[in-house]
Amino acid sequence: MNISITAGRGLRRWRWLSLGVAMTVALTACGSDTDSGGSGAKKITFWLSTSAQLQGYNDLAKEFEAKEGVKVEIVNVPYDGYQEKLRQSAQANSLPDVASVPQLETLWINQLQDLSATANNDTNKIRKDLVTEQDGKVLAIPSDLTAAGLFINKSLFDKAKVTYPTDPAQTWTWDEFLAAATKVRTATGAKYDLVYDNSPARIRAFIYTHGGKGFQLGSDGKYATPDAATVQALTKFKSMNDDKVMPKSVWTSGADPNALFKSGQVVAYYSGVWQVADFAESITNFEWASAPTPAQPVHATDINLGGKVVAFNNGDAAAPAKKWVDFIFQRDNYTKLAAANGYLPVESGLTVTYPFKKQAALDAFALYTKEIELADPISSSGQAAQTTLILDGKAIQKDPTKDEMAKFVNGEQDVQKTVDNIVNGLNEQLS
Amino acid sequence: MALTTSTPRPPALRRGKRPAAPGELSKKVWATAVMWLLVVVYGFPVLWFLLSSFKPAGELFSYPLTLLPKNPTIEGFTQAWTSFDFAQYFLNTLIVAVAATVLTIVVSAACGYALAKYHSWWVKAFMICVLATTMLPAEVILSPLFLVVRDLGLYNSLSAVVVPAVITATGTFMFRQFFLTVPNDLLEAARIDGSGELSTFIRIMLPLSRPIMLTLAIFSFQWRWNDYIWPLVVLNDPNKFTLQIGVATIVGADNVNWSVLLGASVLSMIPLVAIYLLLQKYVMNADINAGLKD
Amino acid sequence: MVDSIHPPAEAPGIDVRRGPEPMRPRQRGWRLRGRNRYVGAPLVLISINLLLFVTFFVWPAVTGLIYSFTSYTGVGTAPYVGLDNYQRLLQDEAFYAALIRTLIFTACAVPLTVLLSLGTAVLLVTSYTKGKSLARVVFFLPWLISPIIAGVIWRWMFGENFGLVNYLIVSLGGEEVPWQSNANLSLIVVIVAAAWSYTAFNMLLFVAALKNVPTVYYEAASLDGAGSWAKFRNITLPAIAPTTFIVVLLSVLHFMKEYALIRALNEGGPGTANNLLVQYIFKMGFERAQVGYASAASFVLMLILMIVAVVQLRMNRRKES
Repeated sequence: MNISITAGRGLRRWRWLSLGVAMTVALTACGSDTDSGGSGAKKITFWLSTSAQLQGYNDLAKEFEAKEGVKVEIVNVPYDGYQEKLRQSAQANSLPDVASVPQLETLWINQLQDLSATANNDTNKIRKDLVTEQDGKVLAIPSDLTAAGLFINKSLFDKAKVTYPTDPAQTWTWDEFLAAATKVRTATGAKYDLVYDNSPARIRAFIYTHGGKGFQLGSDGKYATPDAATVQALTKFKSMNDDKVMPKSVWTSGADPNALFKSGQVVAYYSGVWQVADFAESITNFEWASAPTPAQPVHATDINLGGKVVAFNNGDAAAPAKKWVDFIFQRDNYTKLAAANGYLPVESGLTVTYPFKKQAALDAFALYTKEIELADPISSSGQAAQTTLILDGKAIQKDPTKDEMAKFVNGEQDVQKTVDNIVNGLNEQLS
Repeated sequence: MALTTSTPRPPALRRGKRPAAPGELSKKVWATAVMWLLVVVYGFPVLWFLLSSFKPAGELFSYPLTLLPKNPTIEGFTQAWTSFDFAQYFLNTLIVAVAATVLTIVVSAACGYALAKYHSWWVKAFMICVLATTMLPAEVILSPLFLVVRDLGLYNSLSAVVVPAVITATGTFMFRQFFLTVPNDLLEAARIDGSGELSTFIRIMLPLSRPIMLTLAIFSFQWRWNDYIWPLVVLNDPNKFTLQIGVATIVGADNVNWSVLLGASVLSMIPLVAIYLLLQKYVMNADINAGLKD
Repeated sequence: MVDSIHPPAEAPGIDVRRGPEPMRPRQRGWRLRGRNRYVGAPLVLISINLLLFVTFFVWPAVTGLIYSFTSYTGVGTAPYVGLDNYQRLLQDEAFYAALIRTLIFTACAVPLTVLLSLGTAVLLVTSYTKGKSLARVVFFLPWLISPIIAGVIWRWMFGENFGLVNYLIVSLGGEEVPWQSNANLSLIVVIVAAAWSYTAFNMLLFVAALKNVPTVYYEAASLDGAGSWAKFRNITLPAIAPTTFIVVLLSVLHFMKEYALIRALNEGGPGTANNLLVQYIFKMGFERAQVGYASAASFVLMLILMIVAVVQLRMNRRKES
């Protein structure tokens, strides 16, 4: 019986195991001692979430450190899980000093500093309708604007010799646009007229431009049943999902409209300004252009906020945090930031020279700037409602529009049920 | 009762050394053909993915789709490498994965052995408990688990990623099922020899389970390597971020930079393949028949 | 529970030599003694897992269980609502739809995955195949690919608008197949993708088990002139039965909770046709800040999985005894 021989050999081979355990113990021992927040407030942390727009902040942070002697540590947090992370950080008392967040949250809203000095500074000319304000306290300033808008495959239009408007002041109607797109599709052998982002914000723009008010917050703090124009617009939208005008797969089963448009087989794509930088880089097999948003008859889009800049009240880091926010929004700095990051500015009257090499991208930004000036005031009501709710201690975590529209487009329910479910789904979250 | 033999025996199913019987050749052809068919089926999506990572962004979604990149580029890789602190995140992930793997193996082996060889009611009950850990969606206990980790003072340390991951039903059951196949005679013999229970486990049983250890090592390494939401939530200091957090920053709210994401994904997979090849070689070559015959 | 591998004595025509002593009585005797004699050793052996289980599972799970009796939203207070959440859940048609879809998905994905992983494992272990070193890597790689990447790869293949498969079908003169907007086709794509990405995991379990089958059995069987299939059926399958059992059990638990892959592939679409249970929990609960409701749904899921697991354990025990 030679148990011991085997065992001995086995153990010798597994010596690294004990080494590993020792290492692990050492690792576990050196626990959470570093607190990045308030080390003499010579350093502050700034969280944001972006897949591209870091450069502008990096540049500003360097200048800020040179000027104020405070280092800004910029942390790029992935979008997927960012809100969750903020929530948990609040529970662990480790919120960042400054952050650009997708949405404010009740859980930590009481830890925000008042940014009114920056927001109300007249030289900054920050658009007042976009800041989050409560009892005279400014809690958040948007870092940038985003707007929904239309892209077209210029190569296909040129090939079919179909013209399109270039000036938002003389835009087309949806009927004109769809007729043009169908003409282009049939002339060029493309597959679809249009792909449309699967998002509540983009469908809002569709409703507004058709004269509907969409799902609006009533004076009683509840969402009201929408008007007839809204219902009509949604019905029309469904009928467009016929696998000719639009492929059904986007709104029913999560196909990526961005990828579909990039195939070059789709005449137009309704999305938003954030696509410009991506298209400038990654569309090489055809020419594209931004086209004015169709108006039938209302000239509207959906104006949203890129990120909301907030400063947390973190002990001795609070003062430099506020300084950093103020620094970001000083007119000269903000101009540089907007240019480097490709932001639509929140400060009015700003001339931003975007660093794009592609003319289409530069034209697109010029067009969006005009669109925002021309847009019906209803265009920013979606984000305004969100702000109102948050300040009220409520929040829409999940807009049911996408799911309910998916069921509608898929033929699982009719338009009335869809509208009812959306209203109920929204109100349910407010109770 | 032959407990062990020092002479290596040809492992199971490896019978190729004998002179080929008449039917052997056709069997070889068939088996190889089936395997290669499967290789093509499994490999095609993978090949598409790998080749796509060399495509410039403009080619990824162009129509008609092409398998081979027309203008191959490594820009996706270089951008991925520079878009976050790859080296630091890589190191952190390595520490987490190695530590978690070692601990997981030790703990799972001990527990699996107990579940296989002891039959008190409470041992059996605990078996169900271990299984229960896989039954709740991770999101349900994410928040409460976070509070536990915070209260234990583990927040913002790599051990917060490692320690809760050490208990795994898969690992425990791998060892349990393995030790079920180890004859009790071996245990009995050790007992007659006067070996203590724990010493029998460490000296005799643990070495026997080497293929399981190695297989679990591959699993555990992969799990921790690809962990995402938990490290994101419990790590606050960007110097402690893990690789998948960095990879996830490439996926924006409205845009996905696919060429960079593909590059980053390929890069982050390389260490896993290396570990797999290294450990799998030992699994395949293991002289594990020793001690298992009755 | 089985205490040793079954010697393949029941194999027809194969006379495998057993150990010198008859096994069963011995085994039983050990069992009787083992039942009560050892307390300290098993306790020590499971102690770390027990500690981790209580700290990192029971503690948070109990918190979750408490939430399930409240209308907690994730912040602030958690008002007690009794069994309201559970009642609402059991009255929700969407819940049953998701449950049935999950069962169908699991019933298809588990056998497919288990067969494929056993097959690939055998091919990697047997001496009949050539080119194993490449095959080994190719079978392994899909398991490393994250769901978001898997989603884009499978849309490249099976996208109904510009996917490769439809392109080939149309090129050959066929009609486009609605891989995404037809509920059943969409589910089939997910099942295939799930099997593709999960094979490696089970395959590695099988490889370890196959390598563990004592060679003497095969040698004895060969001497008796048994064919490959007879050997596989009568020696290999019984010998790896404990592993097969755990593979099936873990696969069922895994696929019943599938979410990430289906979200990446078709978001549970078309519409809500392929919403599986965990996605339902997510959509109805967490995304709408109904943590209480989501917790209740999760515990119902856990109960279902527990029943599945206990039934499987029981069946397994009956089979073994």
